[in-house]
Amino acid sequence: MKILFSLVFAALLAGCANVATKKIAAGENMVGERLQVNIDGAWNQISTSGMGPAQVWTMEGLPVDQLRIYSGIKDGEVIHDTRNASQKSFNFRSTMQSDELVSMFEGMLTRDGSTFKLTKLEPSSFGGGKGVRFEYAIVTKEDNLPLSGVGFATVNNGELFAMLYNAPRLGFFPRHQARVEQIARSAKITATPVPAKN
Amino acid sequence: MMDREETRLRRSQFNLRDPQLQAYVQGIACRLGGEHCPDIRVYLVHTPQFNASMAPNGMMQVWTGLMLRVDNEAQLAAVLGHEIGHYMERHSLEQLRAAKTSSAFGQFLGVFGVVGLLGAAGLVAGMFAYSRDNERDADRIGATLMHKAGYDVAEAARVWANLTLEVNARPGGAGGPNPLFATHPGREEREGVLAEFAASYKGGVTNEAAWQEKTAPYLREWLADEVKRGQHEESIAFLTRATGRSLGKAEYLFARGEVQRLRAADGDLNAALKDLQAAAALGNEPPETHRSLGVIYRTTKHPDDARSSFERYLKLAPNAADAPMIKSYLEELSA
Repeated sequence: MKILFSLVFAALLAGCANVATKKIAAGENMVGERLQVNIDGAWNQISTSGMGPAQVWTMEGLPVDQLRIYSGIKDGEVIHDTRNASQKSFNFRSTMQSDELVSMFEGMLTRDGSTFKLTKLEPSSFGGGKGVRFEYAIVTKEDNLPLSGVGFATVNNGELFAMLYNAPRLGFFPRHQARVEQIARSAKITATPVPAKN
Repeated sequence: MMDREETRLRRSQFNLRDPQLQAYVQGIACRLGGEHCPDIRVYLVHTPQFNASMAPNGMMQVWTGLMLRVDNEAQLAAVLGHEIGHYMERHSLEQLRAAKTSSAFGQFLGVFGVVGLLGAAGLVAGMFAYSRDNERDADRIGATLMHKAGYDVAEAARVWANLTLEVNARPGGAGGPNPLFATHPGREEREGVLAEFAASYKGGVTNEAAWQEKTAPYLREWLADEVKRGQHEESIAFLTRATGRSLGKAEYLFARGEVQRLRAADGDLNAALKDLQAAAALGNEPPETHRSLGVIYRTTKHPDDARSSFERYLKLAPNAADAPMIKSYLEELSA
C-alpha cells in the first residue's frame, strides 16, 4: 500500500507545475480573511495551482489524510479542484440547506467514482454560529481504501465556512480525529476581514 | 496482467457480491455466448455510469449504471452480446497486442498496473477504442447472438436511442465527454443498422418483468447513486423515461424530485414538490420522500406541512443518519 501511495503521490506531483508545502505552526492561525482556528500541533499545508478554494492541510501526507478548510466561499463558487474539466462540478449556493451542503460535499468527494455513505448528520455550532456536523465513510475508487471522514459547515452572511477531514478508517482517522474536532471547536468567523500576517 | 486485475476486481469492494444476481446476469451472458460460456466470467461492478466491457481473458464487467438503465433482459443482452462480439473477434486482444508494440503500452501498464482497472475506467474505454469496422462486427455478432438466444433484437436499437436521449439532454448536448460514446462512433448510423438487424431477426422475448423483479432489491440504492452523480439533466431524461416502467414508479418519481430539488434552478422547487407529492400518493415511496418534502415546506414557510413530513420521515426511518438534524428542525418548528 505504501508503494501505491508513493506512486500515486509521485503521479500527482508530476502532474502539477508547482507544489508548495508550508508548515502551519501550533497556535492561532487565520484561514482566508475571516476564519480563525487554534491548533494544538503543527500541520502541513499543501498548495498548488488548480487545487480549488479550500486550504488543504495534512498530517501524514496528502495521499493519506486531508483536512480541507473553506473560508468565505461565495455564492456560485466551485468548491473543488478544477483540473479535471470532464468531471461534474459542484458549486456552493448561499441558499443551501444543511442536507444540500452535505450533498454538495458528497458530490465533490465522489467525483472520481468513490463511494460515500453519510453516517451521521447533526446540528452543531461552527465558527461561532449555527452549523452542521457530519460523519461519513468513503471507499476510494482508485485503490479500494475505506476512509472515515468528519465535516463541519456553516453559512455566514451568504458565505460558506467548512472543514472536512478524511483518512484511512484503520489507524489514521482515529489517530487524528480528536485534534480535528478541537480545530473545529476553536473555529471563529470574524465579522470583518483580518489582514494576513507576513 | 489481466488475471492479476481480475483478482483485484474479485476482491474489490466495488464488486457486487450477490450470488443470485450474478448468476442471473452470468446466465444471460452464457445464453448469448453459447460455446464460449465457460470463458466468460461476469462481475457486477458498483459504478453508476452506463458501461460494460470484456477483457481478452474473458473477464466481463457490467456496471450498475447500465443495469439501472436497461428496461429489460433483451436490452442488457444487446450490450453483453456486443461485448462478446468484440471478444469472439479478438478485437481487445488485437488492441492489447498493438499497445504492447507501441508507446501506448506504458499507458496500458499505467492503467492496469498502478491505479487499477476500476480507477481508470475511462482510460480503459479509450484504450479499447475499437475501429468503426470492429464496432460494426460487434453489432452484427451481438444481434445474431441475441436472436439465437431468443431475445427481441429490436431492443438493441432502443438501448442506443435511450442513451442518446440522455446525452442530448446535457447542457453541452452530444458534444460532452463519455468514454463509451467516444469509442462507439456513429450513434445515428448504429441505431439505423441495428433497426435493420431487427427487421431481419423478427420475434423474440424482452423478459421485462423478470429483469425488473430481479433488480428491484437494488433499485433504491442505484437510484441514490444516480442522484449523487450530479448529472442533473441526464438523470432527469433517464428518470422521466423510467417512470413509465411497470415497477418502482414511486422510486423514480422520488429520484427525479430529488434531482430537481438539488439542482435548484428556476422552477425546480415546484417541480420537485410535485414529484415528491406524487411519489407519496402512490405509496411504497422511499422514506426520504418525506424528508425532502419537509425540507421544501420548511424552505417555503409551510411549518405545519414541514412538521408532519419530518414526523412521517422519522417514523419510517427512526435510525436514519440525519435523524438528529431532522429532530432539530422539528424543535425549531415547534418553538
